[in-house]
Amino acid sequence: MKDRLFLQAAALVLSAFLALSSGGVAAYTEPPILAERVEAGELPPVGQRLPLTPRVVDFAKRGLEIGKHGGTIRMLMARAKDARQMAVYGYARLVVYSPDGFELIPDILASFDVDEGRVFTLRLRPGHRWSDGHPFTSEDFRYWWEDVANNEELSPVGPPTVLKVDGESPRFEVIDAHTVRYSWSKPNPDFLVRLAGASPLYIYRPAHYMKRFHAKYTDEKTLEAAVAEARQRSWSALHNKLDNLYRNDNIDLPVLQPWRIDSSLSSDRLSFVRNPYFHRVDPEGNQLPYADEFLFSMANNKLIPAKVGTGEVDLQARYLRFDDYTFLKQGEHRQPYKTHLWRTAKGAHLALMPNLNVNDPGLQELIRDVRFRRALSLAVNRREINQVIYYGLALEGNNTVLPASPLHDDKYQTAWASFDIKAANRLLDEIGLTKRDSRGVRLLPDGRPLDIIIETAGESTEQTDVLELIHDSWLDVGIKVYSKPSQRNVFRNRIFAGETLMSIWFGVENGLATADTSPADFAPTTQQSLQWPKWGQHFETGGKAGQAPDLAPAKELLELFKKWRASSSTSAKREIWRRILDINAEQVFTIGLIAGVLQPVVVSDSLRNVPSKGIYNWDPGAHFGIYSPDTFWFDPTAADAAADKS
Amino acid sequence: MFAYVIRRILIMIPTLIAISAITFVIIQLPPGDYLSTLIAELQSQGENVDTAKIDALRAQYGLDRPMIEQYLVWAWGLLNGDFGFSFEYQLPVADVVGDRLFLTLVLNFTTIIFIWAVSFPIGIYSATHQYRWGDYGLTFIGFIGLATPNFLLALVLLYFANVWFGTSIGGLMDPIYIDQPWSIDKALSVLEHLWVPVVVIGTSGTAGMIRRLRANMLDELQKQYVVTARAKGLSPLKTLVKYPLRTALNPFIADIGNMLPQVVSGSAIVSMVLSLPTTGPMLIAALQSQDMYLAGSFLIFLALLTVVGMFLSDLALAWLDPRIRLGGGANR
Amino acid sequence: MSSARRGPVPHYVNKAPFDPNVTEVLTPEQERYYMATQWQLMWWKLRRHRLAVISGAVLAFMYFSVVISELLAPYALSTRNTDFIYAPPQGINLFHDGEFVSPFVYGLDYELNMETLKREYTPNPDKVQPIRFFCFGDEYKFWGAFDGSFHIFCPAEGGTLFLLGTDRLGRDILSRIVYGTRVSLTVGLFGIIISFVIGIVVGGLAGYYGGWIDNLTQRIIEIIRSFPELPLWMALSAALPVTWSPILVYFGITLILGMLDWTGLARAVRSKLLSLREEDFALAAQLMGAKPKRIIGRHLLPSFMSHLIASATLSIPSMILGETALSFLGLGLRPPITSWGVLLTEAQNINAVELYPWIMAPVVPVIIVVLAFNFFGDGLRDAADPYR
Repeated sequence: MKDRLFLQAAALVLSAFLALSSGGVAAYTEPPILAERVEAGELPPVGQRLPLTPRVVDFAKRGLEIGKHGGTIRMLMARAKDARQMAVYGYARLVVYSPDGFELIPDILASFDVDEGRVFTLRLRPGHRWSDGHPFTSEDFRYWWEDVANNEELSPVGPPTVLKVDGESPRFEVIDAHTVRYSWSKPNPDFLVRLAGASPLYIYRPAHYMKRFHAKYTDEKTLEAAVAEARQRSWSALHNKLDNLYRNDNIDLPVLQPWRIDSSLSSDRLSFVRNPYFHRVDPEGNQLPYADEFLFSMANNKLIPAKVGTGEVDLQARYLRFDDYTFLKQGEHRQPYKTHLWRTAKGAHLALMPNLNVNDPGLQELIRDVRFRRALSLAVNRREINQVIYYGLALEGNNTVLPASPLHDDKYQTAWASFDIKAANRLLDEIGLTKRDSRGVRLLPDGRPLDIIIETAGESTEQTDVLELIHDSWLDVGIKVYSKPSQRNVFRNRIFAGETLMSIWFGVENGLATADTSPADFAPTTQQSLQWPKWGQHFETGGKAGQAPDLAPAKELLELFKKWRASSSTSAKREIWRRILDINAEQVFTIGLIAGVLQPVVVSDSLRNVPSKGIYNWDPGAHFGIYSPDTFWFDPTAADAAADKS
Repeated sequence: MFAYVIRRILIMIPTLIAISAITFVIIQLPPGDYLSTLIAELQSQGENVDTAKIDALRAQYGLDRPMIEQYLVWAWGLLNGDFGFSFEYQLPVADVVGDRLFLTLVLNFTTIIFIWAVSFPIGIYSATHQYRWGDYGLTFIGFIGLATPNFLLALVLLYFANVWFGTSIGGLMDPIYIDQPWSIDKALSVLEHLWVPVVVIGTSGTAGMIRRLRANMLDELQKQYVVTARAKGLSPLKTLVKYPLRTALNPFIADIGNMLPQVVSGSAIVSMVLSLPTTGPMLIAALQSQDMYLAGSFLIFLALLTVVGMFLSDLALAWLDPRIRLGGGANR
Repeated sequence: MSSARRGPVPHYVNKAPFDPNVTEVLTPEQERYYMATQWQLMWWKLRRHRLAVISGAVLAFMYFSVVISELLAPYALSTRNTDFIYAPPQGINLFHDGEFVSPFVYGLDYELNMETLKREYTPNPDKVQPIRFFCFGDEYKFWGAFDGSFHIFCPAEGGTLFLLGTDRLGRDILSRIVYGTRVSLTVGLFGIIISFVIGIVVGGLAGYYGGWIDNLTQRIIEIIRSFPELPLWMALSAALPVTWSPILVYFGITLILGMLDWTGLARAVRSKLLSLREEDFALAAQLMGAKPKRIIGRHLLPSFMSHLIASATLSIPSMILGETALSFLGLGLRPPITSWGVLLTEAQNINAVELYPWIMAPVVPVIIVVLAFNFFGDGLRDAADPYR
């Protein structure tokens, strides 16, 4: 009797299990465009294509509406290289940032555990498949770690630096078919952040596909034939060419993104078609993405605003500038679209970078004097810049975290950032630059006039315009500005070499930092920071190149950075952050100008679930990524209503 | 005649070699190479670049070899019909260029026909009505196109084409036809878009042609035999057409060689502004990003076209004008 | 009819003494004509070509304005009016309320349309701002050296005078065009001088010596001409070190433009020399022991210098246009240098075409100058061979 009961219960459970896993139509909805292929038997039904526990996007929390399948999202791009933006917009990552609060939540992963900040256990979704139907398992991670990252021919320099903590590589273990673990002896705070990045760290590859091009798994003859056919120099060149999940240059490469590329990069229309095995669904069981196709059409980047204004796109933000807003707004009368303004989230949209590593000794001494930098900052009329170029809609202040960040404090933003010519003159007099020449320009101690050459990468009139405005107000304190447009390559190399005194560039990328975000941008950790390239290079190369920081506040920043990396509690990290921001604000290592500049985003009237107010940022944000373009859908009734209107 | 032809062909070879060497040097002139440009670009967009990986790539692409070696490798490949590999598109150059070549040829060919069609009547009219207001007016119109910077004119015409005729902005056809096979509708769409670039590029070329035609006609019309023919009662039209016109056709043929590089280069900027799927924008982008093989191979191809074009036009001229055949040389 | 004649046939005999040179006496006009020098003949023939004369006058005016740019422009080069960004052109009015007043403009009222973020300006009929003439206005440094503030005409005190509107930083477009003239017109001149020199030297050598020198130059010319000029420009401009000051870059650009332009001139020189060196006067000079340099320079060249000048004049427009094209591509001159090319590049976007069309105003002087050079060059060429 008890046995029978047990058997019945088991049968019940089993049948329920079978019902669910057989792709019961009641559970998930098939996108209509795939129905034919499912009927013909080319594709398994949707229930079998999705993982056992697909990711259910939380529509309620994000205020999204349930949509319908169908439609093509049209967008304009300027170069073939922009194909990689699909990997950015698709934003299918192991972990992603949530659009509110920018917390890290699992996406491709079912879940993850972090132990002491140094042991990361990642769990995949069973049943998750690549876009060609092959299962996505821990084998793909193992293949990458052992056969790619640690293979001498494929990666002569070893695994990516971000995976090494103080030179130590992680210990990689495969726990089971759906669980992997990475462990270090010290905390690695960058690991998850890099996994969720716009241009992410890919720690997996489609092993079943790539093994065909790996010397360990394929016999020499077939491999040689493949190498010759693709006109590569060696199998490693071929492998490296074909396995890039980010560049979207290989049509045959299986991906995990919502859309996969279906055109050659030399075409003028890059078509990305639906990935039938995409792992996300909406709360009602519709497999995402809603749109069947995402189309990138190529156009000259200067023409893109004009084309957008004539209604050729459904969604566009890239290549649109704030200047174009008026034109786009006027186009709304003729075409069915709306122009929204999203805020950018860089710490500063434009900032002046005094080069603390400049070679000239007299200038170096001057620029290292904090009073000089403070005077320069006080002499900038940020209000005028804001009014003239941004209609007063941007945020004036230093190159620091934005008000929306939990770390924000007004004093970081306003320290030494008011417009005070008198105070600036006083500071400069205090330093001893009291002599002036016939033009009224102050003289250095060695008699040279204080002619500051500010170099730009020569790519935007915006920067030249701002420099013109700065020129006038700095002349009032006896400093003459020359702006010198250059070329990006040369621009950067000159700064790295210490030949540039000052440059103008974007501020910190992530103005929405939280305590858990890496403060790398605020300390001399990389050569890419234009205010201390040689100190940054020193840290980056482990002391092999560049110079060690020799200014006390900079040294302190570096120490704080290292402390942050080693600490594991959020509150400790927060304290460290505050101190770092404080030092940066007081020392004025960069002269931030304005932040929070608005970015026009054009959305067709019939495309829904696109937020009207959002943050347009690269990392975190992935531009459209965090807002999940796979949830954007076309409402046919809206199109009719718009047609009626016009 | 035959010896002339053979000699010309033989001379073309060292010319082409010199051109290839110069092209290669020119492409390498800007500092850095493709990878360093790429790095700078990526890093300034905030993307992470593993510099170590880039160095490995550099070795892989052969960008760390000395210049001479790179040149020889490339030149050898050219001779074998291998145009090299485009870094930007990650495809063989032939694939990248091939798609666009047809439309480029259509554009350039139409432009040349436009130039002929416009300058011919205007040139003749100007020559026969010298110094009258008709002469001034028409040459003025012909010159307006020359005087206006192409890129601005293209943008303005594009805008008005859109506002007045509803032509979609940029491109050589409506977006819906792009991947579709050729049909009457597609051809019509191409025509609809084609007139803007043809007018913009063509008007710069007409002025020169008009001037040459006019000058040559004037020269001929002053000659004794024309005066004699008129005195003897030949109708004005016949005196115009029978001899002077044929001599005046000289520049049309002779200038194909001249026109080709001009049209190609003029069409490059205009194509870029108008976002046409021709080889011009591709060339400009390749030069800017130092995509060595793409730019170099394509430039060689263009130069080859021009050299061959000039050779053919010289041949045509020699055949047309007995004075040249019999020695004497064209007075261009 | 009778064949007999009665007496002498009546015919008129002039009583004046017979002068055997009578057929050679010239009327004053003829005398002037035959005694005129080559240059005078050219000038007279040129004068007949009305369009060339007008063009010449226009060019002379423009080049003159280069000297006094600071005086002509109502505003100084770097003057900004942040209150009048993208202001439309103000028309000059003569009558206010039916009465004749001196030329004046109406002041502008400004409003920011917050919905489209468009700056809207409306002329205010109550604000009459008479234009001042020969006044003291914005300060400037004349040719970068002397301070001054005298202008031929300037806005009313506290008023505005934007005859061609303003750009995105509130700078007066007319003033910028006037200052841009200085750069754009002289780029062509220097470039022409360079290509002139190279063309004459190379063409002269090739034409005079013939043989292998001629062959070599022919090939070189062919090579240069078969290149599409755009990539050559791009590559050469990109090779200019960015560390150079704007002035050096400017000269570098003229050098590049000149270096690619001499082929036409060289060919013309060569063909002319090839025919002329067989002339008797060349032979005579050679027999008298003149060195080739002297023969080329003193005897051969002057006989077709007029042609050369005409060709040169016709090449200047292509240099001016080349400068604009280079600016457009982002090579060549860039802000903060002001040239027409730079101004046009700033106008090269859809906003300028649809919303602020006055930004495209610099295209007008470009067209005028190019046309003027063309017509003037045509006239010169027509006049160049006065003995025809």
